[in-house]
Amino acid sequence: MQDVYLLVSGPLAWAAWTIFVLGSIYKIWSTLNTAKQKDQVLLNYVSFKYGMRSIINWSIPFNTVNMRLHPLFTGVAFFFHIAFFALLIFVSAHQIMIEEGFGIGWFTIPDAVADIIAFAVIGACIFFGVRRVVRPEVSYVTDWTDFALLALVAAPFVTGVLAYHQLGDYLTMVILHMLSAELLLVAIPFTRLSHMLLAPLTRAYIGSEFGMVRHVKDW
Amino acid sequence: MRHKLHRYIIFCSVVLCVTLCSVSAFAQEDTYLKVDAFGSLERPVSMFDHDAHNEKAMIEDCAECHHVYENGKLVEGESSEDRGCADCHTLKAQGNQPGLRMAYHKQCKSCHVEKKKGPVACGECHVKR
Ligand code: HEC
Ligand code: HEC
Ligand code: HEC
Ligand code: HEC
Ligand code: HEM
Ligand code: HEM
Repeated sequence: MQDVYLLVSGPLAWAAWTIFVLGSIYKIWSTLNTAKQKDQVLLNYVSFKYGMRSIINWSIPFNTVNMRLHPLFTGVAFFFHIAFFALLIFVSAHQIMIEEGFGIGWFTIPDAVADIIAFAVIGACIFFGVRRVVRPEVSYVTDWTDFALLALVAAPFVTGVLAYHQLGDYLTMVILHMLSAELLLVAIPFTRLSHMLLAPLTRAYIGSEFGMVRHVKDW
Repeated sequence: MRHKLHRYIIFCSVVLCVTLCSVSAFAQEDTYLKVDAFGSLERPVSMFDHDAHNEKAMIEDCAECHHVYENGKLVEGESSEDRGCADCHTLKAQGNQPGLRMAYHKQCKSCHVEKKKGPVACGECHVKR
């Protein structure tokens, strides 16, 4: 069991982060490349000023007309994304392992608070799932891969909470937590989760076209 | 007569209770590594049964853990078991001397990894109870 733990927390974690970074670079590069081949003039229209203006405005909760039309989804989605990165970086166990491995330390959130946020994130994932069933306009574009991805996103949170509370066999749960998180990292560049990488690109493009060509706001 | 028996029974149960309580209190002190310097704890206090651990792990040299450093060099043949780790290791690191939490984690885990035996994951030491 100790061998498995050391394998999963060491070499496999390195492999997952490496694939995530290289895969992300490849994904962005290949997307820009396809755009260039399909439409030569497209990239000429992208402006830093209008692109950033759009990204910033779409990063403020309830700032856009579309967000105000869907306040519940917007609220839950913003909470989910902020909580995802906050937990990843500030959960004490993560920070302690990084400090012991690399000698750099930073602020952590108290375990009790992290625990509550983790429960809320699991709730948000359930909300996303239910929404995909009950809203006709969403369920129309939903297939099983959406639910599979949602389960993959929820898995590190479920196993993290179970491990923290030491429910079930502890070592098994920590190992499952790390494995599911590593699977999620690897999946980001190659599945629809790549919206993390592509959302800024599409926003920048749409913002540029609306701002520079049509002279209107896109939010 | 009955009165006396009654008092005797009460006396005996009080003695029994006190004994049981103090036995379990001693047992607790022995199996867990209580460190006051942390103040209120984030995690359940770590398992560590000093003598049983060192016997099972077959560690003879006290200085493997109770070390003495002079000018950044480990002093062979000297040990510091008269002091707790916290007497030297403050909560924050000082130069090469790791902070208190890091000192425990590094010393405990590095040996467990090296020997391929003993706990390495958070909850194996910080067991909930
Ligand atoms: C595996 C590491 C380890 C080994 C080996 C070890 N100790 Fe300890 N010992 C500890 C730790 C950890 C503490 C708790 C220190 C603290 O409270 O900060 C401790 C505490 C003590 C204390 C109480 C010190 C105090 O003031 O809190 C004594 C006495 C002691 N050890 C004696 C010994 C002797 C004698 C040996 C050799 C036979 C020995 N130890 C070997 C880890 C070890
Ligand atoms: C007499 C003071 C003193 C005591 C007591 C002491 N240390 Fe240290 N320790 C030091 C110093 C000084 C250093 C820094 C050594 C250097 O400069 O590299 C150090 C370094 C360390 C290191 C990092 C180097 C290494 O050996 O891996 C660890 C881990 C450590 N101590 C753990 C402990 C633990 C655990 C205890 C209690 C069982 C303890 N120390 C008790 C003074 C002490
Ligand atoms: C020099 C090596 C060494 C150091 C230092 C060390 N350990 Fe261990 N520890 C072992 C070995 C070896 C075992 C496995 C013993 C066995 O099961 O045969 C072990 C087992 C354990 C166990 C499981 C005990 C059991 O009954 O199964 C605990 C808990 C533990 N160590 C805690 C600690 C803590 C806490 C520290 C730091 C204060 C520490 N150890 C430092 C070598 C070490
Ligand atoms: C080999 C045993 C061992 C392992 C594994 C271990 N710890 Fe510890 N830890 C200790 C000991 C011993 C102490 C000092 C005594 C205490 O407070 O439990 C300590 C102290 C702490 C403290 C400071 C005291 C407190 O509770 O606020 C925190 C926080 C902590 N550990 C978190 C973690 C986390 C997170 C992990 C997993 C990444 C972890 N530990 C893994 C043995 C261990
Ligand atoms: C390689 C990646 C990862 C590793 C090695 C790792 C490791 C760990 C470890 C060892 C714990 C402690 C378990 C315990 O307390 O006993 C933990 C807890 C946790 N992790 Fe991770 N983790 C990783 C990725 C992630 C990701 C991607 C997320 C999601 C954002 C996540 C969310 C959590 C949560 C929510 C907890 C529990 C916090 C709590 O309830 O207090 N982890 N992780
Ligand atoms: C900075 C990076 C990211 C940005 C800018 C971003 C942006 C977005 C946006 C704009 C939406 C709303 C989509 C819609 O309107 O349908 C969304 C939804 C979502 N995102 Fe992200 N995202 C990022 C990172 C992530 C990550 C890392 C994950 C998880 C691994 C994630 C998981 C999700 C999920 C589960 C949804 C809901 C999908 C649904 O069921 O409708 N996102 N994201």
